[in-house]
Parts: sequence; C-alpha cells; structure tokens
Amino acid sequence: MNPIIEVIDLTMAYGDHPVLHQVSVNVAKSEVIVMIGPSGSGKSTLLRCLNGLEKPQGGDIRIEGQSLMSPAVNMSVIRANIGMVFQQFNLFPHMNVIDNIMLAQVQVRKQSKEAARAKALELLKKVGLTDKAEHRPSSLSGGQAQRVAIARALAMEPSIMLFDEPTSALDPEMVGEVLTVMKQLARDGMTMVVVTHEMGFAREIGDRVLFMEQGVIIEEGKPRQLFDMPRHERTKAFLSKVL
Amino acid sequence: MDFRFDIIIDYLPLLLKGALLTIGISILSILFGSILGLAVVLGKMSTSWYLSWPMSGYIHFFRGTPLYVQILMVHFGLVPLLIGQTNSIVAAVAALALNSAAYTAEIYRAGIQSVDKGQTEAAYSLGMTKRQTMRFVILPQAIKRTIPAFGNEFIMLVKDSSLVALIAAPEIMYWSNAMRGQYIRVWEPYLSAAVIYLILTYSLSKLLASIERRLEG
Ligand SMILES: Nc1ncnc2c1ncn2[C@@H]1O[C@H](COP(=O)(O)OP(=O)(O)O)[C@@H](O)[C@H]1O
Ligand SMILES: [Mg+2]
Repeated sequence: MNPIIEVIDLTMAYGDHPVLHQVSVNVAKSEVIVMIGPSGSGKSTLLRCLNGLEKPQGGDIRIEGQSLMSPAVNMSVIRANIGMVFQQFNLFPHMNVIDNIMLAQVQVRKQSKEAARAKALELLKKVGLTDKAEHRPSSLSGGQAQRVAIARALAMEPSIMLFDEPTSALDPEMVGEVLTVMKQLARDGMTMVVVTHEMGFAREIGDRVLFMEQGVIIEEGKPRQLFDMPRHERTKAFLSKVL
Repeated sequence: MDFRFDIIIDYLPLLLKGALLTIGISILSILFGSILGLAVVLGKMSTSWYLSWPMSGYIHFFRGTPLYVQILMVHFGLVPLLIGQTNSIVAAVAALALNSAAYTAEIYRAGIQSVDKGQTEAAYSLGMTKRQTMRFVILPQAIKRTIPAFGNEFIMLVKDSSLVALIAAPEIMYWSNAMRGQYIRVWEPYLSAAVIYLILTYSLSKLLASIERRLEG
C-alpha cells in the first residue's frame, strides 16, 4: 500500500539558516510515528511542513499522493484533512469550547450548525469534557484545553493528526489525561506524527521512532530497538540525557 | 476686565445646537471612518500589491497632510464632483471620515498584529482560508483590543471637528465665530466653546472608561 505521507529530500531554511537537510521519511496509514531529538533540531519545522505552515525550499511532500509543492495545490483542502495539535493549545479565546469545535465544521466542511454541534458534543464526550461545552477556554486547565484542541482537530475527521509537543506546556499531573486521549486515538487507527519527550508514550504507542538532530534524521526504528539498542553515538548521547 | 455673561446666555441656544451638530458629525465620522478604515487596513495587509500599494498611499496621504487642507479639498473638490454641488455637513462628515479612516486603519493594524500567531496557525490547520481566519478568528480578538484606542480616536475627532467651521458647517466653532463677529468680543465666545468641548470630551472619556471596564469584567 502507498504511504499516506511521503517526505522526499526535504530541505528547508529560515533565510540563510538551514534547518532541514534532505529529510526523507514515509508514513503508512494508521502508523504512529514519534519524533524525538534535542531542541532546535528541526522537529517542529518538519511537522509544520507537513501541513504547509512552512514552505520548504527543496524536495517534496506528498499527502495521499498529492504534492504540496505543486502550484495547483489547494492548501485549505489538504489542511482540513490533517489535524494539528500545538504545544500552546491555540484555542480561540473569544469563543466557548463548543464554538471552538464547531467553527471549522461549519465554515470549512459546510456542516449545518445542528450537525456540527452534535459532532462537537460527541467529541467532547470522547475526551471527557461534556460539562465544559459552554465554558470559555480561559477557564480550563491546561490538560482540559489540550483535550479540547484535540477534539477541535478531530471534528474535521482528518486522516492524519500531527502533535507538536502536546504535553510540554502542561503541569505534570495533567500529562496523563492528554496522553490517554492520544493513545485511544492511536488504537482507533489514526495516522499520527507526534513530537514528544514522553518516552513512555513513545514505547507504548509508537510504531516507529525517529531521532532527529541538526535537521537530519539520524536514526529510526521500532521503539524497543531505538531506545534499548541505539546504533548511533549521537542517539545514545541524547537518550542518556533524557531517559 | 468685564465678562459679559449676558451675550453667552444670548448665544447659548445656538451654541448648544452647534454642540449637537458636533456630536452628530463626530459620531457619523467615526462610524464611516472605522468601516472605511477596516477596508483600508485589509487592503494594506493584502498580499496583492494592487491593493496594498494604494491603501498604503491612502494612509500616508491622510496622515501626512493637514486636516485643514483635506477639508477644503473635500468641500470644494470631492463633494461637488460627486453630488454636483457642495454641502458643508456632507463635506464635513466626508472629510473627517476619510481622515479618521487612515488613523483607524493603523489602530486595526496594531490590533491585528497583536493577536498571537498561533491563532492564525490553528485556524489554517483546520483548513480555514485566510479570509475565514481573518473574519472569525483574528478580527474579533483584534477589535476588542482596539476599543481603548478607538476611544482616543473618537475624542480626537470631536476636537478636530472644530475645523469644519471653516466650511460653514454650523457646529460649535461656527457659532463662536459668529458670536465674536456680532459682539466683537474674544473671551466669551471662545471660552464658551472651550467649555463645551471640555464637557463633551470629558463625558466621552468617562463613558469609554466604563465601557472598557464592562468589556473586561
Ligand atoms: N520562524 C523562524 N524563523 C527563524 N528561525 C526559526 C524559526 N522557527 C524555527 N527556527 C529555527 O529553526 C531551527 C529548528 O527549529 P524547530 O523546528 O522549532 O526545532 P525543534 O522543534 O526541534 O525544537 C532552530 O534553530 C530554530 O531557531
Ligand atoms: Mg519544537
């Protein structure tokens, strides 16, 4: 079967500051990829290239066969199909929780308000926040806000979900509730690319772990192999610092 | 120095009528100005040069030339061009609105730029277009933040509207000038005008402060 995401020789620089060097990686449908690596190694940049938030200078990205580099591509259509969850949640603060989840359903998917509301409530139930529907994001804890952000992304029924350090901004006692939702999602067969420092999560849920440093994927493998028998010195050095 | 309250009493009805016109002109100008200002800033921030260049030019022109000159151009040039003849009140509102649009455009721009970049990224990542993102995510947050600056702009506008006496729009200054002409006195007409403006701007700033408090609460 064709990979759902193909990254081919991707090169990206901010001005004259190179960030990604000919990165290639494929992701199969329903695969859960975990990206680890030191801060500044280009993990977020790679993730953001996948839904067109950054414009790479070279190489190609294909999502379900469609090249993002082609001038004819409609980025809104591609993005509606790729959910993204950010470290800082980025909920819309001027809207209630339920309106956060309904907005793109109505505006992008052209759903009726009733259908969007029903779907939002169903997703809130799934992330355990039914009682927060009419609350403002500012009244939520970090863990609750991130679960709403996940529900908001899922409302578009995406075939891929990207997570950029979804638990890094959370108090430690709230990490679990977000990881639980993500694990369930992975078990339901969602294709996921997750940047995280939660090695336990990577081991339990990751199908493949990529170790990235200085804009290069140094090593990749099954979690057990990469964590327990890293082949590269740099991987070992990194793991010895974080484990 | 004698101070003649009797001539103030004499002119009070006209001064108050003038004050009503000042208020009316100011409200209409800020209203039209803020709508136009939104269009100007959206054009200016557009990625199409044929929108952004003219709108940039617009802002430079109206901020970089005296309001005095703008009022005369609108009164003797623009309004006759559009409706065949001139009308001092129409010209006053048009000139002040055009001028105010340039300033409110900059207020909007500051508000838009103050919204966190993560908001745009979140909206884009949901498949929303630039337009939808601006309308449903950025502007509602930006406009709420611009309300204090809009209050200041409104107060400036009330004061600036005194310049339209120049084209015989019968507002406060027009009647003060008439009073000076009739009695050949200086302090009574201009102090009366100053006091009326002070009352207007002071009440306005109190009103705005209470609106701001309510929005925050
Ligand atoms: N918007 C930007 N402008 C310029 N440089 C950036 C920008 N975003 C990231 N960088 C740089 O790109 C490199 C990779 O950043 P990033 O992808 O955020 O790394 P990571 O997510 O692995 O910590 C860093 O050196 C960072 O300073
Ligand atoms: Mg990062």
